[in-house]
Amino acid sequence: MLEKTGVPTKEQIDSAFPSEERMKKGPFVVVECFQKIPCNPCFTACNRDGIKAFEDINDLPDVDHDNCNGCTLCVSKCPGLAIFVVDMTYSEDKALLKIPYEFLPLPQEGDRVMGLSHGGEEVEKVEVIKVQNPKGFDKTPVISLAVSKDKVKVIRSIKVPKERDRSEDEIVCRCSDVTLEEVRELIRTGHTTFDEIKKISRIGMGPCQGRTCSQLVIREIASITGQDPSSLLPGTYRQIVKSLEMGKVIEALEKEEQENK
Amino acid sequence: MVKTAEVVIIGGGISGCAIAYNLAKKGVKDVVVIEKGYLASGATGSCGAGIRQQWGTEMNCKIAKMSCEFFETANEELQYDGDIEFKQGGYLLLASTDKEHEQFKKNVELQNSLGIHSRMLNLDEAKKIVPHLNTEGLVSTAFYEKDGHLNPFHATEAYGKAAERLGAKIYKYTEVTGIEVENGRVKKVKTDKGDIETKVVVNAAGGHSQVIAEMAGVDIPVYSERHQILVTEPLEPLLEPMLMSFSLNIYCQQVPHGGFIMGRGDDTEPRDLRVTSSWQFLDEMIKTATRVLPPLKKARLLRQWAGLYNMTPDRQPIYGKVDEVEGFYLAVGFSGHGFMFGPATGLLMAEYILGEEPTINIDMLGLKRFESGDLILEPSVV
Repeated sequence: MLEKTGVPTKEQIDSAFPSEERMKKGPFVVVECFQKIPCNPCFTACNRDGIKAFEDINDLPDVDHDNCNGCTLCVSKCPGLAIFVVDMTYSEDKALLKIPYEFLPLPQEGDRVMGLSHGGEEVEKVEVIKVQNPKGFDKTPVISLAVSKDKVKVIRSIKVPKERDRSEDEIVCRCSDVTLEEVRELIRTGHTTFDEIKKISRIGMGPCQGRTCSQLVIREIASITGQDPSSLLPGTYRQIVKSLEMGKVIEALEKEEQENK
Repeated sequence: MVKTAEVVIIGGGISGCAIAYNLAKKGVKDVVVIEKGYLASGATGSCGAGIRQQWGTEMNCKIAKMSCEFFETANEELQYDGDIEFKQGGYLLLASTDKEHEQFKKNVELQNSLGIHSRMLNLDEAKKIVPHLNTEGLVSTAFYEKDGHLNPFHATEAYGKAAERLGAKIYKYTEVTGIEVENGRVKKVKTDKGDIETKVVVNAAGGHSQVIAEMAGVDIPVYSERHQILVTEPLEPLLEPMLMSFSLNIYCQQVPHGGFIMGRGDDTEPRDLRVTSSWQFLDEMIKTATRVLPPLKKARLLRQWAGLYNMTPDRQPIYGKVDEVEGFYLAVGFSGHGFMFGPATGLLMAEYILGEEPTINIDMLGLKRFESGDLILEPSVV
C-alpha cells in the first residue's frame, strides 16, 4: 500500500506511537518512516538520544520515546516530512499536533483550517496554534495544530482556506511582474477573459509568452466568476513560438541568397 | 440587455468608446456600445499606437493636433485610475529621395501654418536624436517632438470607464447580426444577445465597417487591408522617437516598457478581414528594421500579430451621416490612423450627431466627397 499510494497502513502508524503510559507524560515524537533509504538527519538533529545511532545508514530510525521530550528539532530536518510531534496533555479534549508544512502561504495563528489525512481526505477543522518558521528550519516551517485526541493518528496535513490560497502580492507573471492581487482586481472590474487581462496588464506578453501565467490566470477567472475552467477562452497564441534574434533571420536570408546564386 | 437606446454605437475600439464618452458627457442618457470581442480587441488594440501630427492634408493635421492635445491630459480628463502611458518622444520621418524631401518640406510648411511646430532636420541633426540611425541612403528628416506613442488598451479602457461612469452601457462579447431600416431610417440593431430599438446608429466598427454598413444597406467605398506588426523583447533605451519612412515602408518605436514595435504596409496583403501572421512579413520587416537601426540585429523578436487598416480612396476618414438612411452615422475609414484620431473622432462625432456647432468642421470628410470626387490624397501613410 505504502509503495503504491504513499499512505501507510494502520499497523505501521500504530507502530510509530509509544505506549499509553508514555503518551500521558507529555509531548513525544512520531516517526512515520517505513522505507529503508540512505537517510539519517533525524538522528543528527536529536541531541538527547531520542533516535538511536544508525548502524547502517539504510536503517529505519529507532526511536527511544523515554529519551524524547518532543522538542521538535527533528521535524523540520526530515526530508521526507515524515516526523510529527504529538502532545496528548495539551487540553481536556484536544491534543497538540506539530506537522512540517512546506506549502505557501503559511496559515496564521488562530486560523481555522481543514485537517487532512495521510491520503489528503478532509478530516476535521482544526485551529492553528503556532507557526514556527525560523531560519534554522530551512524553509520547512512547523505548524502546531489543536486536533481532537482521537485524530492524532489521522491528521497529517492541512488545507488553508481559499481566500488565503496564495498571498496576494505573489507574482503571477514573472516576465511583467504582475501580482495575483492585480489579476484579481482586473477580474473583479470586469476583465473576464485571459486576453483582456493580458492586454491591460501585459501578463503573457513577456519572453515566456504566457506559458507560466495563462493557466494561473484562467484558474483565477474560474474561481472568481464561478465558471468551469474548461469553458473559459484560452488566450490567443501568437507566433513566433520562441524568441529569435533578428540577426539570425538576416544570416539565414543571406545564406539562402548565396545558395540561390 | 436594454431594449431601447438613444444611440447605439457599433464597435468598442477607441472611436466607439470616445464617441460614447462625449455623447454621455453632453447629456445623452442611453448610449450603448456593442462590441463583438472586448474593448480594443480589433484594430485599436492591434495598432502601433503612434501619435503623429505630421500629416500632409489640412484635415488630418487638425484632427491629429486636437487628438494629441487631448491625450496630454487624458488621464485627468477621463479620471483614469491607470495610466494611458503617453510618451512624447517625437516622430522622426526619414526621407530617402529628393521627391520625398520636397514633400516633407511642403508638409512641414502646412503643419507650421496650423500650429504644429515640426521642422526639417539634416542627417547630422537627426543623428543627435537617434545616435544609432543608419543614415546611408537618406536625404533628410522631419521631426516634431510633440508626437509620440501611447498604450491603446489603457486609452480605450479610460474612455470606456469614463463613458460608463456617465451612464453609457458597454456590451462586450456581443455581436451585431443586423440593422433594421424602416422607411429610410434606422429602427433597430439586432445582436446575438437581443435587439435594441434606436433612432441613431453609429458605425465605428473599424476593420469591419463595411460589413456593418452593408447590414443597413449602405455601400461605403472602403476596404480593409491586413497590416502586420511585431514586437521584440524589452531592451535598454535605444530609441527615443518613433522612426518612420514611407519609401522604406517602416515605422519603428521603442515603447516605454522597452520593447520595439514595428510594422510595415503591403498592398498585396489580403483584403478578406484576415488577421493572421506571415513569415514573409518577418523577413521583410527585419531586413528594413536592422538596416535603419543596426543594433536591432541583437534584439530578440518575440511576437507578431496583425490588424486591419480600413482604407478609403484618399486615406482620410469618413465622418458623418448617410443620406439614404436617416440616423445612420459613420466614423470609419481611418486608413491606419483611427487610434491617434480617437479623441477628435469622439468629440466631433458627438457634436455632429447632436447638431452642435463643430469644433472642427468635418463636412468635407463626409461620404459625399467620393461622389463629387473632391478628394485630397493623404501622401503620408505607412
